[in-house]
Amino acid sequence: MNPVGSALGAAAGLAGCGALAGLLPRHRARTVLAGVCTAGTGAAGAAAGIAACAGDRWSLVLPGVLPLSGLHLAVDGLSGPFLTTAGIVIAAVALYGTGYVRPAGTGESARGVQTVLPLFALTLLLVPAAASVSAFLMLWELMALASLVLVLAGHRERSAVREAGVWYAVMTHLGLVLLLAGLARFAAGAGGQTFTDLRAGAAGLPGGVRSAVFVLTTVAFASKAGAVPLHVWLPRAHPEAPSHVSALMSAAMVHLGLYGIVRVGFDLLGGGPRWWWLALMGAGGLSAVYGMLQAAMASDLKRLLACSTSENTGLMLIGVGAAGLFADAHHEELAALALAAALLHMVNHSAFKALLFCAAGSVLRATGLRDLDRMGGLRARMPLTAGLFAVGALGAVALPPGNGFVSEWLLLQSLIHGLAVPGEVTSIVLPLAFAVIALSAGLAAAVFVKALGVGFFARPRSDRAAGAEESPPAMLAGMVLLAVCCAALALVPGLLGPALDRAVAVAGFRHGASLSGTGIQAQLDGVSARLSPLWVVAALTAATAAAAGLPRLVRRRPRRTRARLWDCGGGAPTPRMAYTATSFAEPLQRVFDDVVAPEQDVDVTPVRESAYLVERVRYRQRVPDRLEHRLYRPVLAGLSHVGAAARRLANGSAHLYVGYGFCGLVTVLLALAVGW
Amino acid sequence: MSGPGIAAVAAQVAVVTAGAPLLAGLMRQVRARLEGRAGAGIAQPWRDLRKLLRKEPITPVGTGPAFRAAPALLVATTAVTAALVPFLSTDTPVGRNADVILVVALLALGTVALALAGLDSGTAFGGMGASREMTIAALVEPTILLAVFALSIPARSTNLPAIVAGAVEQPARLASPAGLLATAALAVAVLAETGRLPVDNPATHLELTMVHEAMVLEYAGPDLALVELGAQMRLTVLLGLLTSVFAPWGIATGPSWAALAVALAVFVAKTALLGAALAAGEVFWAKLRLFRVPELLAGSFLLALLAVTASYFLSGE
Amino acid sequence: MSEGTYTQLLDLACGAFLLAAVVVLWQRKLTAIVRTFALQGVALAALPFLLGLHEARGELIAVAAGIGVLRTGVLPYLMRRALDSLVPAPVTGAGHRYVENVSEAWETQPLVNVAASLLTAALLTLLAYAVARPLVLLGPAPATRALPVGLAVMLIGFFVLSTRRRALAQVVGFLLLDNGITATAFLAASGVPLIVELGVSFDVVLAVLVLQILTTRMRTAFGTTDIDDLRELHD
Repeated sequence: MNPVGSALGAAAGLAGCGALAGLLPRHRARTVLAGVCTAGTGAAGAAAGIAACAGDRWSLVLPGVLPLSGLHLAVDGLSGPFLTTAGIVIAAVALYGTGYVRPAGTGESARGVQTVLPLFALTLLLVPAAASVSAFLMLWELMALASLVLVLAGHRERSAVREAGVWYAVMTHLGLVLLLAGLARFAAGAGGQTFTDLRAGAAGLPGGVRSAVFVLTTVAFASKAGAVPLHVWLPRAHPEAPSHVSALMSAAMVHLGLYGIVRVGFDLLGGGPRWWWLALMGAGGLSAVYGMLQAAMASDLKRLLACSTSENTGLMLIGVGAAGLFADAHHEELAALALAAALLHMVNHSAFKALLFCAAGSVLRATGLRDLDRMGGLRARMPLTAGLFAVGALGAVALPPGNGFVSEWLLLQSLIHGLAVPGEVTSIVLPLAFAVIALSAGLAAAVFVKALGVGFFARPRSDRAAGAEESPPAMLAGMVLLAVCCAALALVPGLLGPALDRAVAVAGFRHGASLSGTGIQAQLDGVSARLSPLWVVAALTAATAAAAGLPRLVRRRPRRTRARLWDCGGGAPTPRMAYTATSFAEPLQRVFDDVVAPEQDVDVTPVRESAYLVERVRYRQRVPDRLEHRLYRPVLAGLSHVGAAARRLANGSAHLYVGYGFCGLVTVLLALAVGW
Repeated sequence: MSGPGIAAVAAQVAVVTAGAPLLAGLMRQVRARLEGRAGAGIAQPWRDLRKLLRKEPITPVGTGPAFRAAPALLVATTAVTAALVPFLSTDTPVGRNADVILVVALLALGTVALALAGLDSGTAFGGMGASREMTIAALVEPTILLAVFALSIPARSTNLPAIVAGAVEQPARLASPAGLLATAALAVAVLAETGRLPVDNPATHLELTMVHEAMVLEYAGPDLALVELGAQMRLTVLLGLLTSVFAPWGIATGPSWAALAVALAVFVAKTALLGAALAAGEVFWAKLRLFRVPELLAGSFLLALLAVTASYFLSGE
Repeated sequence: MSEGTYTQLLDLACGAFLLAAVVVLWQRKLTAIVRTFALQGVALAALPFLLGLHEARGELIAVAAGIGVLRTGVLPYLMRRALDSLVPAPVTGAGHRYVENVSEAWETQPLVNVAASLLTAALLTLLAYAVARPLVLLGPAPATRALPVGLAVMLIGFFVLSTRRRALAQVVGFLLLDNGITATAFLAASGVPLIVELGVSFDVVLAVLVLQILTTRMRTAFGTTDIDDLRELHD
C-alpha cells in the first residue's frame, strides 16, 4: 500500500483509539493513553505529509461511507505541507497536553477534551485530503464542531467562554453556509462533485458563476483564517479555549482557510481575473495591520497571540493575492515565488505560534494569569518556558535569526520583483503591500518585545506571578519539539524547497526552485537576491562572542559586582513602578488614536471635607475592537429587532407551528407544480 | 574569493569599530565649536570608552540574562552590518549575501535587544525608554523599508553591492527625483533610527525627553562601554550606508589593492563630512515632541512612496 | 540642451513641484506655507521655461517669466501682507522678537491631522498616477510622463482647501489647485494659448485680493480667521 495511505490509515486508527481512551474512567491512564494516541495520530499524519511532500500521490474512494456520493480522499503536493505541519503540531501539542491537564482538574470536562481532541486532530489531517465537495464539507463541519466543543471546555468556570462559543459557532456556521452555496453552485456548473470533475468543468463555467464561487468560498475560508473583518470570533475563542487547543486552532485549523483559498482559487478554478486577487490582497493588508494593532493594544497574552494570528493570516493572503495577480499577468515564476512565500510563512507561523500558545498555556497553568499587567519576573521562576517563549517570539517578530524573517523576506522579494509586471495596478498595489508588511513587521517587534519583556522579564507584579513554578517535563518536551522545528526552519529553510515547489506546481505554476540547500534565493530573469540564514547566524554568534570578549581584553579580572538599581534617591523601586503592558503600549495607542479609538475614563473622588483634596483616582481604559463595533453591532441590533418582530408569529400554539410547516410544504409543492 | 575582497570586509569592520567613537567625537566637537565652546577634542569618546572598560562590571539586582547579553548583541549586529554594507568595495566574499532588507532587520534586532534589556531592568525608566524606542522603531520600519524599495527599483535587486555598483555606473540615477526623494526619506529614517535630533536628543538626561538614554540608564562600566560603542557604530553604519548609496564615488568595484586604499580614504572623508554636516544641522534644530515624531515619519514615508512612484511615472518603464 | 539633460531637468522640476505641495501639507506655520508656495512657483515657472528651450518657442519663455513673477513674487507678497495685517508685528525691543498671539499665524488644528494628511497625500498621488496612466500612454514623451505630477498637486490643493481651518491656508490650497492645473496644461499640451493664460492669471490675482480683504474683514468681525466660524453667518 502507498505510504501516504497507510500513514493516514494509521492516523485514523490511532485517533479512534485516542477517542476511546479519552472515555476511560481513570484519570492518569486516560491522560497518558489519549495523549500518546493523539501524538501518534499527529506523527502518522506528519509521515503522510512528508511522503506527500516527497512526491507520493494517493487517492481513495470509499463508496459506502457517505450516501449517494461516497467519500473521496486524495493527497497531492499541495496537501503535503498542510498535512505535515498539522501533523507535527498535533504531535507536539498532544505531548504538551498530557502535562497540561491538571491532575486535580478532572471535573473541568477534561474527559471531554481528551475524547474530542484526537478526533479534532484527525479532521485537521483529513480536510486537506478531501477530494470531493461532499467529503470536504463534511470534514470541514466535523472540524468546526470538534473545535467548538473544545473551545467550550471551560464553560462551567467562565462565562466569557460561553460568549466566545456563541460567536465562534455563529461565524463558523455562516461560513459553512457560504461554503456550501459556493461549492454546490460550482459542482452544479461543473457537472460533478469530485475535485477532478470540478477541475475539468471549471473552464466551461461562465465568468459570473466563477466569480460568485470564488467570492462565496473565499469569504468562508477567510473567516476561518481569521482575516479582518471576519476575525471577530478569533480573539474571543482562542483565549478562552484550553491553551493546547488554541495552539492547535491557531497553528493548524486557521491555515486550512488558506488551504481552501489556494485549492479553490488556483487548483480548482484555475486562477481568475485581477479583481479577485486585489480584493484578497486588500483583505490581507487590512488583517496584517489591524490585527497587529489590536495585538499591540492587548494586555491579555492569549488575546495578543490570537490577534497576531490575524496578522500572519494577512501576510499569507497578501502572498496568495500577489501570486494570483502575477499569474493573471502571465508571470508564472513570480506567481510561484509569491505563493511559495505564503506557504513558507504558513509553515513558519505554525511552528512559532504553536510554541507561543503552549508557552502562554504554561504560564496560565503555573500562575492562573493571562493578564500581562500582572505577570513579570517569570524568567527567574520558569526559565525554560521563558526561553522557549523567546524562541517563538523571535520567530514572530520577523528579525534575522528567527524563522519568520525568512518567509517575510521571501514575500518582500516577490513584491519587489513583481514590479517587473507592467501596469499601473501592480505599481500602485505592490509598494502599498510592501509598506503594509513593513508596518506590521515593525508593530510585531513592539508587540513581542512587550509580551516577552513585560510578561517574563523584570520582577513579578503580583503574588501569583511570584509563586509560579516551572511546568512538568511533558509540557516542556512538547514545546522543545516545536522550538526545534522553529530553529530548523530558521537555519535550513532550503530543505523545504522541493516540497514547496511541488505544492506550487499543484496550483498551476511550473517554475519554482526558490529555496535550496542552506540558503534561499529569489532568482528571476537574471535578477537575484540571496539570503543564507545559516551564515547570518554564524556571523552573529561569532560577533557576539567577540563583543562579549572585548571588555576582557582591557580588564583581566571581570568579576561582576551586584548593585542596587538606581532609585532616584527615593528608596528601592518597587514592582509597581515598573512598566506594564498597558503603559508600554500607551505611546502606540496615542499614535494610532484615530484608528483604535480607546475609551478612557477617569474617576476622581474628592475627600468629603474639600473638593480640592483627592481621596481616590480611578483610571479605566478599554480598547474595543472598533471594526466589530461598527460592522457587527448594527447587524446584531437589526437581527434582534427582526427577532422581536417575529415573536408575534410565535404565540405558543403548537398547532400553529405545525401549520407553518404544512403551509411551507404545500407552498413549495405548488411552486414546483406551477413554475416548472 | 580574492585577497582584496577579504581585506575590504575586515577593513570595513575595523574602520567602523575604531572610527565610530572618533565620528561621535568629531560631531560633538563640531557642535561645541558652533555653540562657542572649546569642546573636549575628537578623541574624547575613545578616552571615555577606555575608562569605562577598565571599571568593574556591575549587575543591578533583579536583572537577568537579557540585560547582560544585550550590549554584546547590539555591537554584534552592528558589526555584522558593517561587514555586509559595501563601504569600501562591492566585490567582497560576503557581497552576495549583503541584502539590504537583512541589513535593516539586523539593525532592528539590535534595537529589540536593547529594548528588552530596558524592560528587564524593571525600572520605570527602562520601561519608558523601551516603550518609546519600540514605538519609534515600529514607525521607522515601514519608512526605511519603503526607501529601500525605492532604491532597489533601478537596480532591480535588493542586493546592496548591486545597488551601489549600479549607481557608480550610472550617476544620473542619483540626481533623478526618485533618487533624491529616496535620499531624503532614508535620511529622516536614519535620524530616527540612530536617535539623533529632532527625534531623540543623545545628550539629554531629562525624564520627559529621554528615549535611548532612559533605556540604558542601568548600564555601567564595560556594559555601558559596549552600549555606547554600539550606538556610535550604528550611527557610523547608517551614515556610511547613506553615503554609499547616494554618493557611491570612490567605492572599489574590483579586486584591486590601490582602489581599496582610495576607497578607504574616500569613505572616511565622506562619512566625516556627512557627520559634521549633521552635527552642524543639529545646532539649529529643536527636539520634536514624541507625539510629533509620527508626523515626521509619515512625511518620510510619503517621500519614500513618492520616490517609488516617481521612478515609474517620470522615467518611464 | 541634450535630450538627456532636458529630461533630467524636467523631472527635477516636477519632483520639486510635487515636493513643495507636500511640504505645504507638512507645515503648520503660515509664513512657512507661503514661502513654500513661492518656491513651488519657481518650479512651476521652470516647466514652461524648459519646454520653451527644448522646443525653441520664445513665447513659452515669456510665459515662464510671467508665471515666475506672478507666483513667486506678486501672490506671495499679497498673502504675506494679509498675514502681517492679521498678526501683530513682533515687539522689536531689546533685541528679541516676541509675538503676543501666535494663533493667527499657525494652522494649529487642521481638520485632518498632519500625519493623516501626509498619508492621504500619498494615496492621492497614487490615484493621480492611476488616472493619468491612459493619458500618458497616448504620447509617451518626458513631459507627458510627468503629467500625474500636475494632477497630484491639483488633488493635494483640493485636499488643503477642504481640510485647513485658517483662511490663508485655504487661499494657498486654492492656489495649489491652480498651480496644478497650470502644470497639467503645460505638461499635456505645452501650455494653453497666451490669452487664456493671461486671463487665468488675472482671475487668480483678483481672487487672492478678494480673499485677502475677506480675511481681514473676518478677522475684524469674528476675531479669528477660522473658516468654521463662518457657520455663524448661517443663522
